Order: sequence, then structure tokens, then C-alpha cells
Amino acid sequence: MATTKRDPTEGFFAELAERGDEPLLRKANGTTRFDIVDGKRTTRWLVTLDKGRVAVSRRAVASPDCAIRANKALFDRLASGKENAVAAILRGDLVAEGDWRLLVRMQRLFPGPRKLKRTGTAGYARRRG
Amino acid sequence: MSDGVVKILDGNTFVVSDERGDIEASLTDPTGLFSFDTRFLSKWILTIDGERLGALSVDDLQYFETRFFLVPGTGTVYIDAKISVIRQRSVANGFHEDLTILNHSDKSVTLTVRLDAASDFADLFEVKDALKKKGAYTTTTTGGKLVLGYQRGPFTRATEISSTKSARVDSDGLTFRVRIPSHGEWTTGLDVVTARLGAGQAPRDAVDPVRARQRMARNLDAWLTNAPRIECDWDPLKATYRRSLVDLAALRFSPPIAGGRSLPAAGLPWFMTMFGRDSIFTSLQALPFTPELAATTLRALGDWQGVRLDDFRDEDPGRILHEMRYGEMTAFEERPHSPYYGSVDATPLYVVLLDEYERWTGDRTLVRELEVEARAALNWIDEYADIPGDTGYIWYKRRNEKTGLENQCWKDSWDSISFRDGSLPGFPRATCELQGYAYDARVRGARLARLVWKDDELAVRLEKQAAELKRRFNRDYWVADGEYFALALDSDGRQVDALGSNNGHLLWSGIVDKSKAKAVAKHLLGPRLFSGWGVRTLAEGEARYNPIGYHVGTVWPFDNSFVAWGLRRYGFKHEAAEIASGILEAAEFFDGRLPEAFGGYERSQTKYPVQYPTACSPQAWSTGTPLLLLRTMLGLEPQGDHLVVDPALSRGIGHLELLDIPGRWGRVDAFGRGRVEVGTRHR
Repeated sequence: MATTKRDPTEGFFAELAERGDEPLLRKANGTTRFDIVDGKRTTRWLVTLDKGRVAVSRRAVASPDCAIRANKALFDRLASGKENAVAAILRGDLVAEGDWRLLVRMQRLFPGPRKLKRTGTAGYARRRG
Repeated sequence: MSDGVVKILDGNTFVVSDERGDIEASLTDPTGLFSFDTRFLSKWILTIDGERLGALSVDDLQYFETRFFLVPGTGTVYIDAKISVIRQRSVANGFHEDLTILNHSDKSVTLTVRLDAASDFADLFEVKDALKKKGAYTTTTTGGKLVLGYQRGPFTRATEISSTKSARVDSDGLTFRVRIPSHGEWTTGLDVVTARLGAGQAPRDAVDPVRARQRMARNLDAWLTNAPRIECDWDPLKATYRRSLVDLAALRFSPPIAGGRSLPAAGLPWFMTMFGRDSIFTSLQALPFTPELAATTLRALGDWQGVRLDDFRDEDPGRILHEMRYGEMTAFEERPHSPYYGSVDATPLYVVLLDEYERWTGDRTLVRELEVEARAALNWIDEYADIPGDTGYIWYKRRNEKTGLENQCWKDSWDSISFRDGSLPGFPRATCELQGYAYDARVRGARLARLVWKDDELAVRLEKQAAELKRRFNRDYWVADGEYFALALDSDGRQVDALGSNNGHLLWSGIVDKSKAKAVAKHLLGPRLFSGWGVRTLAEGEARYNPIGYHVGTVWPFDNSFVAWGLRRYGFKHEAAEIASGILEAAEFFDGRLPEAFGGYERSQTKYPVQYPTACSPQAWSTGTPLLLLRTMLGLEPQGDHLVVDPALSRGIGHLELLDIPGRWGRVDAFGRGRVEVGTRHR
């Protein structure tokens, strides 16, 4: 089957926009600006969390609650679970500033190295509605 | 302090020096200025006219501040010094030191005062394991400052050294030419400031040392004032209680995500970081005294709860972390602590703490806030902890076989889990206390589901699971010919049949059938387990028993505090009082500061408890032990909005009052009188 290989970073934000409600992020509210640097070009994404609802846009915001800056190659690896965000922050590869509690929540959005067969709270998630 | 080592700290920034205030570290010698798991200063040596100084005395002012009195020359028997030196040091974004030289002669003196400084920027793990550095060092001397730097790729760390009096700065330190009139003095302030770059952290400024000291002093005062007060006929208990409160204050650690609030770190100074197990156990012990520690522990561990499947970090969705570190080896993934999840008890204990916290404080807001986390923790027990997949038990087997932990229960040494004949089981292992914690987590989770989350369906399901687990456990783990519970099941489902203190944790969890409790209590206070001071980790007579073996015969104060709680839970008041009395009497030999562990020798044989050598003192859960023992002796138990008091304490303690116990009842007092006769067993 011929598929065009999707850009991991683009894919990450596209998938995020489709998520809608994310129980793991219900406590985190605020805006996070991602600056993805690719050579001379910087692509900017804005992720807004509101009681677990995720919204993604390309809007420019002057003072977000968090700001994350990384080069494109690193972000591609983060977006595909090949890199760990916390280690990258400690190393200084990923520059993160702002509300630490929100940052710790935000790093949950990155996938892990192995695919999850089961969802985090399968049998224990509260039924909605 | 012991070993001629002086420690001061504020959170995870600490200084370890010799009695002169000097730091002269080698890769393996654990002295220096440390912050965020990195050594920022490995050399800090004061000389006057090229000569080292000798210590007259050390004043431990507070845990964050100390003062060294020195004179020139070392090793002299008779001191006739014309000058003396005072170094007063406090922790503040690194440390601040006021160096004062007094001239006692009637002539003026001219001196060359020199501070040699260097840093190896070692990661704590490198200090422990003596590993070599991979990055490059830099040194700059500009604007009267000495800046020591380290870089490995984007990872940079720096130490800035400056003084209030002008100095000649070279790449190895600072030199002052000093003239002091007769009977005069000279002083300079010295600032050593740590900078972590690259992690979104601007280099830190030197904070005003006076204000930093005042802030820490006020904070300690408030901490002591807010805690319940004790009155007691037996003075050593009062001293031990105060020691525990001050040490617990020193052990507070404020992770960057906690908004200035703090949780108990595991041990001072090497374990000043978040540990799932240690922070939870210590929060449980301290609940009747300082419930805010539990709230911060629950929030911070909840923030870091696992969400991914990551073999390197032994992470699963819902799992509570084991240990968090910030150093270079963690950053470069040479160690998995970003954070590392290799513990299997922290997750059920998380739910236990949440429930116990609500029972004491009535704070349902937090229980609502952490509903998702608690549900994910309960789900982890079902979905991820049962490694064979069909047993209904919690097992452990590390997935990170290189740098992960082999034993993921509290007895985490290689030989702690053994058969009677000394042979060791393979992996995975299902140690018994884990099943108790899982049982308790479900029972308590059901209570919270019904009371706060308003989810009866979940409550019913958890209760059913708990009842089934209890039934199976009492069948599968019961060693019939010994009348106790096996240490573990091995991968073939065989009982790992040695007798250990884990039985006491089972009483605490409530998983033990009533009909079996008496036999278990008899073992805990029997000659094979009870030394006269406390319950041994492993019973005398087992092949691996060794009274000075880490988890195979020593007595752990923390372990005993939970054993005592367990005995009370099943109504064995006198037995609990006996253990409390033994451990608190042992504390007296350590000036109120219980070590992590002490020898399992018969009390009548040694007459005093033999300390097991460990690197960390105070240790958080040893510090919390006297607090939990006070609770068990007074029989403090929340019931609805009231605190029930049902004292049972040894005669030697006499009259005991604990005043202003905080909780959902506001503040109440508890009284008890010692009536229990103890010490008939082993003296």
C-alpha cells in the first residue's frame, strides 16, 4: 500500500486536535506555545487546555502559560515516542518555561516507546453523561 | 554530627563538609555543595598564610545553618592562637559564608587568606558509583567573580563564586591580602551560587543571606508551633518527639511543580528527592501531626503518574513513580530516573494514603481532585500488576534489566526474599505485603467511590474484588505448618516460606482472616522475630538470618511502626504497646533520631541497639516512626467527625498527653496513662 509518510510533528498536532476530551489533562488549564525550529524557519503551535478539552491552533499568543522550544528533528522524535520529554528538558535539548505543573501535564501528551494495548483507566473511567 | 561530617540543607540543595568547613571531595568522597543531584563545588579549602586550619568547635545552629570556630594549624594539642577564625554558613541558592578573622594580639597582623575552589560537577549517581565525566570544564574570572562551568552538549551547569571584599581571583580560587589591627577583626561575605542552564532556568542570583536565613527560621518556628504539643512523664519521649519534628522539617522537599508546598523526601542528604514509597509511608506516619505533607505528596505523585508503556522507566499507565532525579546521567538517559517507576507498592499505597487523608482531614475537595488518578491507580493493579495475567496478585519483574531495580518492594536488597533453606526465588515475585496493600486500596477505594465520587457500581465491584482477593490470599499464602504467611509466591506459585516482618504489614492492611490473626501476632512478638527492641525483618532460624543483614535480620523502626499499627487494627493493644515501647527506648540511645535500621541481636545480649551503618541520617520513615507510634499507643482513630482515643501504653511512659491534634474535628487533645507491663519477654 502506498502511503505518503506523514510528518510526525504535523501528525502529533493533528491527532491532538482530534482528541477533544482527555481525562488525563482534566486538571490542567492554560495555553502552551510550541516553537518548532527548522533551520531558519520557526513553526508555532498553540495548545489550549480547558478542563480536559484540547484545542490546537496556529494563533500567535504573546504570553502563554508555558513555552516549549525545540528543533524539528528532536520534536519529530518526541512526537513519535522515540524521545522522552522530561529527559530532553533536563538535558537542555527541549527548552521549557512557565507553569511547571502545566508542563508536567503537557508532557503526558507525547506517546511512549511502546503502543498501548489498553487504555490507562479502561475499567475505571467514569462513565460520562 | 557523626563521622566529622557537617551537613546543612534547604530542600535538595545541601553542603557536606568536614569539621573545619572545608570541602575536599574526590570522585568517591561524598562531600561538596549539591543541588538538583549535581555537585556544584568539590573543593573549598581555607588557608591562612598557606596553612590549613584546625577546628575548635562546630555549632549546628539549624539544619540550614552552621558555624565553625577555627584556629591556624592542625593537630596541635596545645593551642595558643593569636588569631581565630569563624565561618558561618547557610544554604541559599548554593551557600553564603561569612568569614571572620579575629586578631587577639596587641600588634596588627598582615595575612594572606586563600580559598581554593573547584567543581567536578559530578552527578549524585557518579559519586555513588565512581564514574568518569563525559563533558568539558570551563573556568572564567571576570568582574571579581570566579565562574566554574561544565558543558556536555546542551547540558550546562555553572557555579559562581564572589566575595563582598575585593579579592584577587584566579582560576583556582580567591586570595585576600588582609591587614587586621590589634584586637580588631576582618570579615568578608562569600557567595557560591549554583546555576542550572538549559532547563528553562535563568542563572540564579545570590539571595540576601540574612533574609533567606530569617525565612527558613520563621518557617521552622511555624512548623513547630503548628504541630501538636506533647506532655509526658518520660522525658526521652518528649525529646524524641521534638527531634522527629525538626528532622521532618529538614526533610521537606519542594519539587518545582508543588508551588512552594512540600512533601517528605526520603533521606538526608542523598535521598532529598521525591520517592513514591518513602513519601507515602512518611506522610501516613505524620498524618495526625502534619496532614499537609500528605496533600502535597498526593498531588505531586498524581502529577507524575505514569501514562505510557516505557520499558526503560518501568512505566505503565496509572503507576506511581518510584524515584525522580534531575542530574546529568538522568538527562542523558544513562539512568532511568526521569522519573523511574520501578516500585509496585507505591501505586496501591497511593489510594490508601488518599483515603486515610480524607478520614483525618475531611478534605473531600482533594479526593474529588484526584479521582482520575485514584481510578488509574486501581486500574493499574488489575491491568498491569498481575504479570502472569491470571492470578489476581501483584507481581514484580523489571523490564529495564540494565539499570532498573530488581526488587520493587520495600525490602529491595538482592537476598531479602528467600525460602527457609536460603534459596532465592526467580522472577516475577509476588511478595505478600503487596497483596495486603492491594486489598486495602480496594476497600478504601470503595469507600471513596461511595462517599465522594458517588459511584456505587465501582464501590460494589471493588468490594467484591477485595473479598475475593482476601479469600484466595488466606489460602495461597498461609504456611500451614508454621501458622504464618509466606514471604512471597514464586513464578511457579510456590510459597517462599521464610518468616518475616511482612506479616505485620498484612495485619495493617486488614487482609488477614480473623481466625489467623492470633497466630500471626504470636509470631511477631515471639522469640524468632521479636528481639526485645523490635521485630526483625527476617526470623531467627531462617537460613539467611543475619542480625546485621540489611533486610534479613535487622530491626527497621519504620517497619515496626506499621507492625504496631497492624497489631492495633486486630485488637492486640498490649502487643502494639510492647513494640512501641521497645522502639522508643531504642530511640533514646540515638538521641531521639532513630536510624534506618539497627541490629537484630537479642536485647539481653547487647543491652543497647547496634546501629546499622547507612549513608542517610535522618531517614524520613525512621523520623516518622515515633509519630506513628504515638498514634498507635494512644489508639487514635478517626470515626466520622470524631477522634476516638483508646490508649494502651507501657507503664514506663507514665502519663502522656498529645495536645491540639489537627483533623476534621478541629483540634482535640488525647490523654493516656501507662498501664501495660512490657519487657517480660526478653530482658
